[in-house]
Amino acid sequence: MTRPTSRRDPIGAACRVAALVVLFGFLAFAAYLGFTASQVVGMDFLRGASSGAADSAGIGPALAGTLWLLLLTAVLALPIGIGTAIYLEEYAPRTRLTAVIESVAANLAGIPSVIYGIVGLALFVRALGMGPTILAGGCTLAVLALPVVIVTSRTAIRRVPAGLRLAAYGLGATRWQVVRNQILPVAGPGILAGCCAAFTRTAGAAAPLLVLGTATFMSFAPQTPAHPLTSLPTQIFSWATRSHEGFTALAAGAAIVLLLLLLVMNLVSAFVVRRLGGASP
Amino acid sequence: MKRPAATTDAPVLTAERLSVRFGRSIALRDVSLAIPRGRIVSIIGPSGCGKTTLLRCFSRMNELVSGASTSGTVHFAGTDLYGPDIDPVEVRRRIGMVFQETTPFPKSVFDNIAFGPRASGFAGDLQGLVEEALTDAGLWSEVADDLDTPALELSAGQKQRLCIARTLALKPDVLLLDEPTSALDPEATARIESIIRALSPRYTIVIATYNRWQAARLSDLTAFLDRGELLEYGLTETLFTNPREARTESYLTGRTQ
Repeated sequence: MTRPTSRRDPIGAACRVAALVVLFGFLAFAAYLGFTASQVVGMDFLRGASSGAADSAGIGPALAGTLWLLLLTAVLALPIGIGTAIYLEEYAPRTRLTAVIESVAANLAGIPSVIYGIVGLALFVRALGMGPTILAGGCTLAVLALPVVIVTSRTAIRRVPAGLRLAAYGLGATRWQVVRNQILPVAGPGILAGCCAAFTRTAGAAAPLLVLGTATFMSFAPQTPAHPLTSLPTQIFSWATRSHEGFTALAAGAAIVLLLLLLVMNLVSAFVVRRLGGASP
Repeated sequence: MKRPAATTDAPVLTAERLSVRFGRSIALRDVSLAIPRGRIVSIIGPSGCGKTTLLRCFSRMNELVSGASTSGTVHFAGTDLYGPDIDPVEVRRRIGMVFQETTPFPKSVFDNIAFGPRASGFAGDLQGLVEEALTDAGLWSEVADDLDTPALELSAGQKQRLCIARTLALKPDVLLLDEPTSALDPEATARIESIIRALSPRYTIVIATYNRWQAARLSDLTAFLDRGELLEYGLTETLFTNPREARTESYLTGRTQ
């Protein structure tokens, strides 16, 4: 038998070309970004504060702001999102109200992030008087992450074999014991993967934070959530829109740091998912 | 719920005018029957006749299905299992059920057996209880050396015996077995049947089975269900040799009407 040639399999050949274009495109982009960023990235860049001069500016406050935002998103969105998913799947009776909640959660996951910024501006910044702070940003990003956490957690919970639930109930387990001992250990890797997807979406979101009003010049790193809002994506946006060439390199450097941060988050989550999936809960 | 006396000829479970609906469809219609203590009772009938539904009524499992509604009564040792003060969780601890689908938990053999006792807050000798349950289910000699073995690595027959042991660890008064051998080869089936026979003096056992010969081999009494109705119920020997209803005879002889 011979390998199918492109003449015999034109669709396969086209797919191969498409994959190569994507691969080389990505490598070229990474190389460009890396080369541009290499001019600025160093410890001074990571720790340094904002500056009007391109050669002395750093991302210290913006990086700290993003870490704060991720922490707040995790603290707010994970318990509420996973809790809602567990409630909808395991506790809620199948009524019209739960059908509406399910439909709303599924549709919210597809709404552009800038809309969440407008909601955050009206609700957190103005109505609740938080002002354009990291707390308001964290709350807004938590709302942005929530539908994704709910939808993916529900999918993971629904994939738990019905027989496991039945067997546990048949052995006299209460609903909570079934959830804690059977559902969560089995659905855990899927829930974690979904949460990671939600985090990736929020960590890279600039639009909603720009709507809230972010500080792009900050001389010190935020110590509390009450600090004015700053983040890597908004810092990148600010630098990238300046005409001075030095700021383009700064934007590339900050983008590399953001990508590495997301990469580390994804790797850690993949590692944990594999450990959870492989070990007996 | 009070525990039934060990020596009594009174029925341990009594269903009266029991009906179950799933949404608009009726799965069980006006079923009345009494399960005597310490006996093996088989429920036979064609697929979809309501065997599993009837079995699940005894441990209040049907209510976990959305849209299910049950009417009539089921008395267990004088208590109405569907009474307003009865906790279904407590019912399931007293009336243990092994399901058709063999589903060991993705945990060790030990943790599988210990699941029920732990859930009910058992505070005694868990190690001893696990050993006793595995011995009664004929699995102890095969797993004694390594109780930490993941249950999912057992063979199909061992998994089913594990599921039986898991239920025995609850020390239930009644054991409900839903098609316990439907996925097993003849050798593993024979093994399970000998275990059921060995358990029968100590437990009241109700088996739902599509395999009429298994019912004939194992049970003292047999109930024949058809389209949700109990057509005939009596001593297995009588039912198999001299069925009262024409539909029972057709089913037992393999003729379709």
